[in-house]
Amino acid sequence: MSLPQFKLLRPRTLADAIGHLDKHASNLRVIAGGTDLIPSMRQKLFEPEFVLDLRHIPELKGIHERQESGVEVGALTSLTDIEHSALLRRRYPVLTEAAATVASPVIRNMGTIGGNICLDTRCLWYNQSLTWRKGCGFCIKKDGDLCHVAPGGTKCWAAFSGDTPPALLCLNADVEIVGPAGSRRIPLREFYTGLGDNYRTIQPNELLTRVFLPESSADYSGVYRKLRIRGSIDYPLAGVAVVMKRSNGHIADARVALTAVNPAPVLVKGASERLAGKVMDEALAEAVGDLAARTAKPLTTSALTPEYRREMIRVFTKRAVLAAAAN
Amino acid sequence: MTNDFSIIGKPIAMVDAAGKTTGSGKYADDLSAPGMLVGKILHSPFPHARIKRIDITRAEKLDGVVAVVIGTDAPNPYGILPVGHDEYALALDKVRYVGDNVACVAAIDEATAEKALELIDVEYEVLPAYFDPEDSMKAETNLIHDNKPHNIEKDYHHVFGDPEKGFAEADQIAEARFIANEVTHAAMEPHCTLAAFEIDPQTGKPGRLVVQSSTQVPYYLQHKLSLVLEMPMSQIRVIKPLVGGGFGGKSEVIPLEIIAAIAARKAKAPVKVTYTREEVFWAHRGRPRTIVDLKTGIKKDGRITAVKARVVQDGGAYCSYGVVTILYSGALLGALYDIPNIQYDGYRVLTNKPVCGAMRGHGTVNVRFAFESQLDELAAKIGKDPADVREINLLKPPCITVNGLRVRSYGLPECIEKVVDRSGWKQRKGKLPRGRGLGIACSHYVSGAANSIIRSDMPHSTVNIKIDRDGGVVVYTGASDIGQGSDTMVAQIAAETLGCSLSRVKVVAADTDLTPIDIGSYSSRVTFMNGNATLKAVQDVKKQIASAAARKMSCEPQELTFRNDIVTKKKGHVGADAPVRPAEQSSAASVSGRVEGQILRGSLQQKRKDEGPKDSLSFEEAVVAAIDFHGALSGTGSYAPPLEARGGKHKGAGVGPSPAYSYSAQVAEVSVDEETGEVTVHKVWASHDCGRALNPVSVEGQIIGSVWMGMGQALTEEMVWKDGMLMNPGLLEYRSPSSVESPEVEAIIVESIDPEGPFGAKECSEGSLAATIPAIGNAIYDAVGVRLHESPFTPERVLAALRAKKNAKPINLTEGVDPTAPAKFREHGGSLWYRGKGPERHPLDPSRREAPGAAGGDD
Repeated sequence: MSLPQFKLLRPRTLADAIGHLDKHASNLRVIAGGTDLIPSMRQKLFEPEFVLDLRHIPELKGIHERQESGVEVGALTSLTDIEHSALLRRRYPVLTEAAATVASPVIRNMGTIGGNICLDTRCLWYNQSLTWRKGCGFCIKKDGDLCHVAPGGTKCWAAFSGDTPPALLCLNADVEIVGPAGSRRIPLREFYTGLGDNYRTIQPNELLTRVFLPESSADYSGVYRKLRIRGSIDYPLAGVAVVMKRSNGHIADARVALTAVNPAPVLVKGASERLAGKVMDEALAEAVGDLAARTAKPLTTSALTPEYRREMIRVFTKRAVLAAAAN
Repeated sequence: MTNDFSIIGKPIAMVDAAGKTTGSGKYADDLSAPGMLVGKILHSPFPHARIKRIDITRAEKLDGVVAVVIGTDAPNPYGILPVGHDEYALALDKVRYVGDNVACVAAIDEATAEKALELIDVEYEVLPAYFDPEDSMKAETNLIHDNKPHNIEKDYHHVFGDPEKGFAEADQIAEARFIANEVTHAAMEPHCTLAAFEIDPQTGKPGRLVVQSSTQVPYYLQHKLSLVLEMPMSQIRVIKPLVGGGFGGKSEVIPLEIIAAIAARKAKAPVKVTYTREEVFWAHRGRPRTIVDLKTGIKKDGRITAVKARVVQDGGAYCSYGVVTILYSGALLGALYDIPNIQYDGYRVLTNKPVCGAMRGHGTVNVRFAFESQLDELAAKIGKDPADVREINLLKPPCITVNGLRVRSYGLPECIEKVVDRSGWKQRKGKLPRGRGLGIACSHYVSGAANSIIRSDMPHSTVNIKIDRDGGVVVYTGASDIGQGSDTMVAQIAAETLGCSLSRVKVVAADTDLTPIDIGSYSSRVTFMNGNATLKAVQDVKKQIASAAARKMSCEPQELTFRNDIVTKKKGHVGADAPVRPAEQSSAASVSGRVEGQILRGSLQQKRKDEGPKDSLSFEEAVVAAIDFHGALSGTGSYAPPLEARGGKHKGAGVGPSPAYSYSAQVAEVSVDEETGEVTVHKVWASHDCGRALNPVSVEGQIIGSVWMGMGQALTEEMVWKDGMLMNPGLLEYRSPSSVESPEVEAIIVESIDPEGPFGAKECSEGSLAATIPAIGNAIYDAVGVRLHESPFTPERVLAALRAKKNAKPINLTEGVDPTAPAKFREHGGSLWYRGKGPERHPLDPSRREAPGAAGGDD
C-alpha cells in the first residue's frame, strides 16, 4: 500500500507551526512519531494535502519540574523518555507504568505522549485497507452510514485505545492547546467528546503542546493494568489506571480511569467517593470493580467479546485498586 | 554407522546466515530489473459473484499505466493438484471470496497502479455465499464450483480393522466434538514475484520467461506457468532467491506468480508484484478450520481398541492441496500409536473464503489436537498416567500399520522417556500448586510423501555435482532453501562424504535452468530425499576420485580415507603397499606433469618429487588426478522412495505413506489465571526423533520454532471471520506470539538412525508442532480441571469454561459457543449488513439474516 502524496511541512518553531495550521488546517494532518498516522494513511483513512511534522520543534520536547506546581511534559516527549524518567517514576508512577505498556520498545521510541493522547479511535471495521472497507460497505467513521458494531444507531463507537490517557485522567492532568487565537489550558477530561468519530474537542487549527501534571496529585501510588492477548505490541483491549493516596491506613484520595472500552478514556464515576476514607479490603475492591464494569461500554470494535472485556474491567479494576493500596 | 564425522552432527552456522543478518542477501522484493513496472492486483469485494462485465479502458488511459490484464488474458485453469485445476490467475466468470483476484495493473509506480485499480469498472451479479462448512454441505444451488455437488470438494470413508468390534471391547469410550479455528503461516516475507521476458538474442523478439519468486516449489511453478501461459517449460526459467519463510504458504503456485508473468507479457516489460500483508492473508493456503468428531475406545489396561473420526475441513473457495489435507488427517491417525481399528470419514468442503492449503504439519495438527486431548481424558477415566498410556500403545517396528504405513525407525519411546524424565513428570504431575499444571502429548510427521502429488515415476530429487581442477565442489540441487537450511544440509553432506572443508562446497540451488528437478520444499521431504540424492551424487564422484587416487597411491580405492581435505591410505595397509611405490610415483609425476597452465604445476610437482612416495594426497591433488584420469569430474544422484514404503491399495492410500516418520513428545508446564482465563506457558520440554541430527543447532531451531508456532495456534492465533470478511488480515490483529510470551523450550534431540535416511536422518521441521497444542490443552486441564475442545485457548474461552464448570454466574463470554462443548464456528460480533444498509449482498447471503442481537445503537 502506497503512502498518499502530500506536502511535508517542517517548522522549526511553534509559531511557524501555528502559521501553517492557520493556513492549511482544513486539509492537514499533524505528525509527531507517526506510529498511528502512517499506517492509517497507507490504508487511505487520511489523504491530507499537507502533513505538519513537529519533530523539529525543540520547545515541544522534555520533562520539566516546576517549583511547587508539578511537572510539565512537552507533547513531543517520547514514550520511552517518559518510561525512563526517574522524576516521573518517583512522583507520578502510574504514568511511567502506563507508558511502558504502550506497543513495543521500537514504537515507544517513536511514539510521543501528545500522539498517545491524540490517538485516533480504533475499530476492526475502520482500521482496514480501502479495499477491505469497500467489502464491508464502509462505516460511519469513514465514508459510510452504518455502524457495524451498533447497527441501529447513528453514533460511532470506535474505541479510544491509548494507554497513557487513563493514567493522566487519574492524575487530573491539564493539557495546553495552542492555536492562531493563542493558547488555552483545559483539563484532559474535557479534551475528549465521547464520540468515536469526532473524538477530540481540539479544533483543526490547534495543536496540543504540553501536558501539566499537578503538584496536588504527585506522590500518589499508581497502578496500570492492561488486557491484551500478547505481552507486547498489542493495543489495550481494556485498560484500568488507579491512583491512590493513603493516610493512617485509610484511603485519603483515589481515582480510577478506563481505556479501550469506550470512545474516550473515562474516569469511573463514583469510584473516588466510594474509596475515600475507607480501609482497603477485597469487598471494597470488588465494589469498585463493579462500578468500573458499569462505566465500560465495550462493543465488537476489537478482538475478544465485549462481555469478556467488560468482565476484565471488573477484575482488573479490583486488582489494580488492591495493588495501589498495597504499594 | 560410525559417529566419527567431521562435519555431520556438528553445530554449523547456516551457509547463508551472514548474508541474511547483514542484509546483503537478496530476497525477491530486493530485486529489480531495468524498466521494471509495479503490478497491483484488484481484488473482489464480494464473497460470491458472477462477473458480468469488466471495463479497463479508463484504467488503461491513466498516465503511467502500461498494461491492465484480466482473466481472459490467461484463461487456462490450474491448481497444485492434478485433480484440482479449478483456479484462474484472474477470475474468468466468477469471484469466490472477498480478496479473489480480478485484474492487475502494471504501472510505473505503486501509487499509479493503485489509482488505476480504482478506474477499473467491474459489474458483478452477487450470488448467495457459503461461509460455514456444515451449511455449505447442504447447498443445492448456486454452487461454488458447478462440478462439486453440495460444495464438497472431496470426501473419503475409510475403515481399517473392525471399529465396531473394537468399541465393543473397550472399557471406556470418549466421544466429543473438537473445533480448531483457522490459522495461517504468517511468514515474515510477504510473497513477491518478478517476471521478465528476455529478448531473444538471435531474433530480437520476446523470448524466454524468467521468473524470480518467493517459492518453495520452483519446478511446480515452472510447470503451472507453462500451462497457463501456453509456453513450453523449456522456455521458462524459475529462480528462487532467498525466501523469508514458507511453512507451506509458498508450497504451491500463488496467484501473484502467474499474474506477474501475464502482466509482463502484456506490458512487454518486467513486472514485480509484492503482496501487502492483507493480500498475504487473502492468498492464505493455511490450515483450515476443522471440526473433528472423535470417538476413542480404550481398555482398562490402557490399550486403545478403536478410533472413529469424522473430520470436516472448511477449505475455502478452491481445491488447493485440499484433497491431500483431508487424506493426511485420516492417514496420520496411524503410525504414531498401535491402533488396531480405525474408521475415518473426511469431508473437504468449499466455502466462500480464502483458500486453505498446506501448513506446517499438513493435515495432522487439528486431528492430533483432538486425539491427544481425548487420550488424556481416557487416561483419567481408567486412572492411568497419560504418559504411561502412550507407552502402552507404542508400535513395535518394523511394522506396517493397519492403514498401510510402513514404520521402521521409531524413536517415540525414547522421546517420551526423555520428556518425562527432564520435566520431572513422575514427581510433579498433579502435585503442582492450584492453577499450575503439566500436560503431555505426542505427534509425528512424514519425511516426505512416498507418492508425489504429480503421479509420476520420476525421481523426487536429482542432484548433480561438478568438481573442477581448482578443487571447488559445486552441487546443483533443486532443493529450495526457504530458511530451513537445505543449502547447508546439502553442503554438509557433500563435504562430509568428500572429506573436504565446508568452504570448498558451493551450492547452486533452485534455478530451473541450472539445477535438476526436485519437487520442492514441502512435506518435510528435503533432507530425506534431496539429502539422499546428494549423497548418491557425491558418492558417484567420490568413487571416481578414489579410483584415480588409489592408482597414484598404489592401493585399492576402499583403502582410502577422505577427511580434512586429505586423502589418506588407511593405516595397516602402508607396509603391504610399499613395494609397488616407485613405479606409482613416476606415473603420478607424469600425470601431474601434464597439468597445463595450473598453479599446481611447478610447486606441487616439485614438492612431490622432493618428498618421494606418499601415503596421502591433498584433496586438490586427488581431484587433479581424477580429472586427468577420467576427464570431467561430475556425478549425479537421484532418489525415489522404495516401493514397499508407498502404502496400501485403498482409495486415497497414496497420501500418508512416507519412507520414514519423525516423532515428538512434549510436556508443557502452564499456569492459568482463574479470574481472567489467561494462560501462561512457562516451559515446554520437546523431544524430537529426527533420525540423526545432521546439524544439531539447526534441528534445535526447528524444534523451538515448531513449539512456538504450535503455541500460537494453541493460545493466540485465529483468523476471525464475519460473513466472509476476514476481520484481522494483519500481523497486529492476527497476533502470533511475541518474544515476551515465548516460553523456555528445552529441545531434546533423539536419534533413531533411520536405515534409509542420509546418514540416518529424518525430518525435523514439522513433526513437533502438533504435540504442542494438546500438550498445552492437557496442561490447562491439569492446572484447573477444564477440558478445552476449541482452539485457540483464548482467555475468554478458558474463562467461559471455568465459569461453566463452577456453575458460576452465566455470562455469554464466547457468543453462544461453549468452548468445552462447541457445536459450530463462532463469527465475529456486530453486523455487516443491517436493514438495507451495508455492502451489496444477495438476499440469501448469510450476512442479511437479521441477527437477533444486532441491536446496540445510541445511548
